[in-house]
Amino acid sequence: MIVLGATLAGAQDRAQVTTVNYPLQYFAQRLLGDGAQVTFPVPRDVDPSFWRPSIADISAVQAADLIVLNGAGFATWVDRVSLPRSKLLNTSAAIKDRFIVTESITHSHGDGGSHSHEGLASYLWLDPTLALAQTEALAAAIVARSLAPVEDVAAQLATLQADLEALDAAAQSALDHLTGVTLIATHPRYHYFARRYGLTVVSMEWEAGAMPNKAELAQLEALSRDTEATILLWEAEPPAAAFEATAALGLRNVVFPTLAHSVDGGTFLETYAGAVSALADVAPK
Amino acid sequence: MDRPVIRAAAFSGLLAALPFEAAAHQMIVFASVNCEAVLVEAKFSNGNAVQQADVRVLDGDNRLQSTLPIQTDGTVSVPLDSVDHTGGLVIEVDTGSHDNYWIVTPEDIAKNCQS
Repeated sequence: MIVLGATLAGAQDRAQVTTVNYPLQYFAQRLLGDGAQVTFPVPRDVDPSFWRPSIADISAVQAADLIVLNGAGFATWVDRVSLPRSKLLNTSAAIKDRFIVTESITHSHGDGGSHSHEGLASYLWLDPTLALAQTEALAAAIVARSLAPVEDVAAQLATLQADLEALDAAAQSALDHLTGVTLIATHPRYHYFARRYGLTVVSMEWEAGAMPNKAELAQLEALSRDTEATILLWEAEPPAAAFEATAALGLRNVVFPTLAHSVDGGTFLETYAGAVSALADVAPK
Repeated sequence: MDRPVIRAAAFSGLLAALPFEAAAHQMIVFASVNCEAVLVEAKFSNGNAVQQADVRVLDGDNRLQSTLPIQTDGTVSVPLDSVDHTGGLVIEVDTGSHDNYWIVTPEDIAKNCQS
């Protein structure tokens, strides 16, 4: 009982940080170590971009010492709740000039005439150089709020950034021979990854990890024919029958997790590096 | 900004389902609270007020407490004494083609109602 009480007291004394995706949770935990509890409250089976939190979820977020946002339109729920401005950090505020605008969407409201909206690609962390900028913003916010000693944060930031730079260098080397090769993605998540490594990615809108239906397979076949793509990127591993169906169309399948959620058995860096290796392995040399 | 925002010209094939998802997000809902009521405001992203919509008020257990029509200026006031707000409130606005929500926590109510 005494031990449990001490543990709970310790947890309550630690800084509370909450994030809107797994990469930011990983970066925050690396920077803060055991000195803080870093939570990412979105259930594993929910897309964090479109999570609808409960009231209790928001109460917990409001109580955190630091609320770490991705920006670029990621996590739409943050615009539907009151969050204390003094606790908010938008980790991409300094890199808005590097955002990718997605296509316009045209529709109308009643008699108001048609108009269009543009969206932003939001999976910034798939470009490690953008992730690196996010870690800088995060470290500065941690220090500004005195959530950890300056020296400790600086040391952890240096190590984390060295890891991200090494990841980027390894990806550049591994994917160098894919320049000019068209890839098809089952979901439009790879904008920043593609730009960073000079890849051409055309995307569909399949449900992550699900078996495609006949219409989707027909769409894929046409897209593959039109683009001469031979590699298909999956956000999550689908049923084996899905791999068989796409392989029958002449495509090589690669599971490339987009890491908005963590993946069992690997950290952010490990999973990313593994996905890059898998992609490099199936690409024509 | 030092550089222009970069457009995703390489992603011409990505748009199959995105319009529906994004279009559903183009109505903006905001709610503020004081000791007496929750004031709900709804407008489209072009600034026009939402003139016809149902406003649903749900409690902390996601039970429907009340459904109100929005006024022509895009607002509606929900008296706090008309709903069980002890566990917070979820305000949903639904035009039939667009919907959105705002979450009011017990802390939001307490913070704005300190006597």
